[in-house]
Amino acid sequence: MSTTQVIPPPLARHLPGDRDVWIFIFAELLMFGAFFVAYLVHRQTSVDLYNASQQTLDRDLGVINTIFLITSSWLAVSAVASARANRSREIVSRLAGAITLALAFIVVKYFEYTTKFAEGINLTTNDFYMFYFALTMIHLAHVMAGTVILSVLLLNAKEEKYHRQNLSGLEAGTAYWHLVDLLWIFLFPLLYLLR
Amino acid sequence: MDEKTSLKFQLISAWCGPAFLITFVVFWGVIGQNLPNPSPDLSATDLAARYIANLNDIRLGFIMSLIIIVFYMPWSALLAAQMARIEGKFPVMAYLQLLGGGLTVMVVSFSAFFWVTAAFRPERDPVLIQLLTDLGWLCIDLQYACTTLQMVAAAMVGLAERSKTPLFPRWACFLTIWCGLSFLPASLTGVLKTGPFAWDGMLSYYIPYFCWLCWFTVASLYMIKDVRRRMRESDAQGDTMAVTHGATA
Repeated sequence: MSTTQVIPPPLARHLPGDRDVWIFIFAELLMFGAFFVAYLVHRQTSVDLYNASQQTLDRDLGVINTIFLITSSWLAVSAVASARANRSREIVSRLAGAITLALAFIVVKYFEYTTKFAEGINLTTNDFYMFYFALTMIHLAHVMAGTVILSVLLLNAKEEKYHRQNLSGLEAGTAYWHLVDLLWIFLFPLLYLLR
Repeated sequence: MDEKTSLKFQLISAWCGPAFLITFVVFWGVIGQNLPNPSPDLSATDLAARYIANLNDIRLGFIMSLIIIVFYMPWSALLAAQMARIEGKFPVMAYLQLLGGGLTVMVVSFSAFFWVTAAFRPERDPVLIQLLTDLGWLCIDLQYACTTLQMVAAAMVGLAERSKTPLFPRWACFLTIWCGLSFLPASLTGVLKTGPFAWDGMLSYYIPYFCWLCWFTVASLYMIKDVRRRMRESDAQGDTMAVTHGATA
């Protein structure tokens, strides 16, 4: 009589989404890292100017936008969880929520920018404002691209495309959205708070 | 035209890539005095003095660049043909890539020709030399989008290809998209004269141009590989034909 040992199968190594999309996301992180380093290096040359200009930024709006993006990311993650549990209508409503918050972020940015422009402050006013406008506008472009991606995910979700056996497109798209959120989490304290 | 000759033209077109790259970096970058490139913040007089101090190099660098840039064309044409093969009946992205490649040649050409014009009569009013220099830099730095589209089109087709021997591996397609997007900060060169976003800055010049170089190298490598693979297949087919048709009892 032989006793067969039951060896449990090795835990499947599952990288959510798409490996190549992660490489792209990592590359974007590196790019923004270069922006952040450039900001910090240039800031050293005129710390007082940067601090004084920073005071004119609307910190409350910055906080509101941070809350919008974090909540939006949370909704995106929840959408993936819904897909894993095969609850397709939930995916749609959660993605819709994420997109609404993304649009809210964009609207807030619009008001922030127009207020500054009305005061005669723009990209060329001084070094701090140059970085403020350039970095947040480049980030905003990523928010808009991310919103488009979320919208494509929403349309697919409406056609019941995502379920436990077909998650990687949803995971890859939401991973990009998390990148956009993460970038803001660095950008906000760097530009609005760091003294 | 028989297949062997066609493949020969294809291989030459593929190798135009590396040939273009190396000669262009030498003439446009090194000899043309673009490493480092002149700051937009230079006064007109200082800029004119720079032309006069490096007159022969600048003339040689950019006159040669205007010739060398056209080797981007056969390379783009080959890529279009390779993409069309993947796309099938309606090679829209292949056409888009070809358009983008052709327009890129024009953008880079015009840019260099403005600088040659500036160097043509160096005794001109420095303000005019500055105007011509500005035209050259803004031409090449603000009109990157046709190159971005060329790159994105190629990446899209690369990603959509389902074959055992794809033209581009997936990572190369994502590298392509990212490199194409790295040009975006260069739009700020139209406004800023100092800092990392000016046309001599890290974020508008060195990083984007380096990214373009990386993409072009990677793409060339895989395009050459693809042609050589098809050359081997063609040879193998030729041998089989010879075996079945050659021997007579």
